[in-house]
Amino acid sequence: MTLTDELRYQANVNVLGAVFLRFERLQLEWKMHEKGFWKHEHLAPPHFAAPRLKELISKHYLKGRYANGHGKVAWLTSGAPAELFTALGFFPLFPENHGAVCGIRRVAEKLSGYAEDAGYSRDLCSYARTDFGAMLSGETPVGKLPRPDVLVCCTNICQTVLHWYQVVAHHYKVPLILIDTPFLYEQAEPHMVAFVEKQLEAAVEQAERIVGKSLSEPRLREVTARSKEAVELWAQVLARGKHHPAPITAFDEFIHMAPVVEMRGEAFTVEYYATLLAELDDRVAKGIGAVKQEKRRLIWDNLPVWGRVRWLSELLAARGVSLVASTYTNAWGELAALVDPEHPMKSAANVYLHPILNRGTGYKLDVMRTMVRDYDVQGAILHSDRSCKPYSIGQIDQREKLATELGVPALLLEADHNDPRAFSEEQVSTRLSAFLEVIGA
Amino acid sequence: MSVDSVPVFPTRRQVIAEHKAHGGRVAAVFPVHHPRALWRAFGVLPVEVWGPPGTDTTLGDGHLQAYTCGIVRGGLSFVLSGQADDADLFVLPHACDSTQGLGSLLLDFVRPGKPILPFYVPRAEGPVAVEYLAREIGRLADKVATIVGSSPTDAELLEAVHVEEAADGRLRALHQARPRLPLSGREFYRVVRAREYLPPLAFVELAAEVLASAGDRADGRTPVIVSGMLPEPMELFDTLERVGLTAAGDDFTCTGRRLYHPGTGDDPWSRIAQSMLSGAPDATRGVSVQARIDHLLGLARATGAKAAIFHEVKFCEPEAYYLPQVRKALEAEGIRSIAVEVNPLEPLPDQVVTRLEALAETLA
Ligand code: SF4
Ligand code: SF4
Repeated sequence: MTLTDELRYQANVNVLGAVFLRFERLQLEWKMHEKGFWKHEHLAPPHFAAPRLKELISKHYLKGRYANGHGKVAWLTSGAPAELFTALGFFPLFPENHGAVCGIRRVAEKLSGYAEDAGYSRDLCSYARTDFGAMLSGETPVGKLPRPDVLVCCTNICQTVLHWYQVVAHHYKVPLILIDTPFLYEQAEPHMVAFVEKQLEAAVEQAERIVGKSLSEPRLREVTARSKEAVELWAQVLARGKHHPAPITAFDEFIHMAPVVEMRGEAFTVEYYATLLAELDDRVAKGIGAVKQEKRRLIWDNLPVWGRVRWLSELLAARGVSLVASTYTNAWGELAALVDPEHPMKSAANVYLHPILNRGTGYKLDVMRTMVRDYDVQGAILHSDRSCKPYSIGQIDQREKLATELGVPALLLEADHNDPRAFSEEQVSTRLSAFLEVIGA
Repeated sequence: MSVDSVPVFPTRRQVIAEHKAHGGRVAAVFPVHHPRALWRAFGVLPVEVWGPPGTDTTLGDGHLQAYTCGIVRGGLSFVLSGQADDADLFVLPHACDSTQGLGSLLLDFVRPGKPILPFYVPRAEGPVAVEYLAREIGRLADKVATIVGSSPTDAELLEAVHVEEAADGRLRALHQARPRLPLSGREFYRVVRAREYLPPLAFVELAAEVLASAGDRADGRTPVIVSGMLPEPMELFDTLERVGLTAAGDDFTCTGRRLYHPGTGDDPWSRIAQSMLSGAPDATRGVSVQARIDHLLGLARATGAKAAIFHEVKFCEPEAYYLPQVRKALEAEGIRSIAVEVNPLEPLPDQVVTRLEALAETLA
């Protein structure tokens, strides 16, 4: 790290950037309080926490922009044990989240095109293609992505990420730390936990060598405690969707989940979710629903269709339908109980073995069954995501079971989380309309 | 070269019937890596299911989305059609997100009325992976013991390991002698793929007979590397030979990446695990891109291959991720390559034939 680099980082991130982003937030907050700010016929105004969310995400990517030269950068999969790397002082970048940002900003197709031109098949996960496009072209809607010093890949969401990260490791010629988590067809066996634990220990040693310092136990406990707190708050945020009317929809949650994925372990993330939760409680007290005339309630399975979150949300709201929960956003809340800040390494092995995506198709059906009951829903939308086989295979049977065992109609919606070419607006509207009629919306 | 070049050996159906006639059990084993010695030590005949070609895949449509590969769709359809009814258990190694889904579907929803044994093949490397896998094999052994009602001793298991290692040695020898064998591509792959179901001693005998027919020199065709998941559809070899090429280097997951080396030591569990992880760099195990490149370049040097044909299964992510960087590295070393996509359960598309012809012309 040179003095110039450090000065540039401090000036751009902590002075100019911080001031600008705060000003932008205050402006937005001010606007939201103005009379007549919100005129949507079917949707309640956005949550007041939204400008703060924008500030957090922008600041995160701003830090990333100047991270090389300031410290070491780790690119991590969303299911990786981020706490270890945060505690060691790495700047954590999550390529999947970056992919999602590209999807929301509608540049995923263009970036994916660069990857496809370089020979990457259109059948690969669209997050990977989007990020390969950014890697090969240098283009990104967040300004600039920092070069990784290390890649951290945990197979607990899919095997795809391992192939993806091998490509990135070869491109940047950087080491790849693998945390290999056996897929849980049934329960986790002791040798599986031991396998993950040993890899975590080796990962720490390797990361310490890269960053040039030892992991501080107290610091790891502190980061893990904050992470647990954030995850618990997130779980409570999601649970507010059980109220009638629901003060938040899964569409909102898709956006609000960014900090719990990429900034867990930070004090500001805890504060952020505490603020959001208080706001939701206020809405519950006042009977304000996210959908103004909530008549029917649904759950969502799988990733969102990032480029169509708004469109789908308005389409459903216009029919009085609130999407009150999703298996996807739930994935970041359901493991809070397993996190033990007093024994961070030991508990990490168990926690990181148990995400929904590392568990069988039957378990996912159980999660949906519980949601149907707890959230009092009349139907389910199962997004059959062309890009995400680990999440999607099993949905045909899950849909059938929801319908036959619980009497809950479920729609299989063919699309892709980040590739708009796999989304037909006409077809989706027609199928959704027919489905909504079935559930009486 | 004709079918007569290959000694007569039993088909899958015959081996299964023979084994069953003696009261033995049969395991239908899905791709890719599995502990052969374990099943044998329990008296279970492992018969691998790669597709298989000719299966009516529409049955799988009731459970799998259209973007699932032909191997998984074919495997599930095979089970649903009743063609796997001879199997007493199903073994599902974890090879990719799709085989993961297949194992889970069979276990949770399809429930074909037979024990389902999915297991996780580690992607990590080194002693930690061997230790995990040895214990995972131990977990499988407990399950098989409850199915079969008895267990082999460690000494019996070790004996089975040695026999498998001998068969693996013969398999490697066949691949090494490939250019000098008087066999067509179809014949060669029929022989080496007999390892997917023949008892090991029968395979050793078959290999010895074939090896005895090896000549001094390779035929005059231009050598190429063939890579991908599996050598299906087999018209690939007919086409290659027709246009003057020969598949001299094998990098198929099903064959060339399963030339296992013997493990070490007297602990049978660890020895099986070591051997299972000793194959050539395999995309399904998430190896580094450089390892794939080095392996292919080594194969090209050893066989004199002038080109590589990536004969890929449509929707196969593990393979597809590696292609651009691997192909670029091969090109830099003067090795031409083409990548074609096939459904291994269907005939070779005309467009693939045309591309193979074009490749042969550029190499002429
Ligand atoms: S979208 Fe699915 S396939 Fe892609 S990285 Fe995420 S879990 Fe893996
Ligand atoms: S062909 Fe590819 S996607 Fe299909 S089972 Fe084999 S490794 Fe998996």
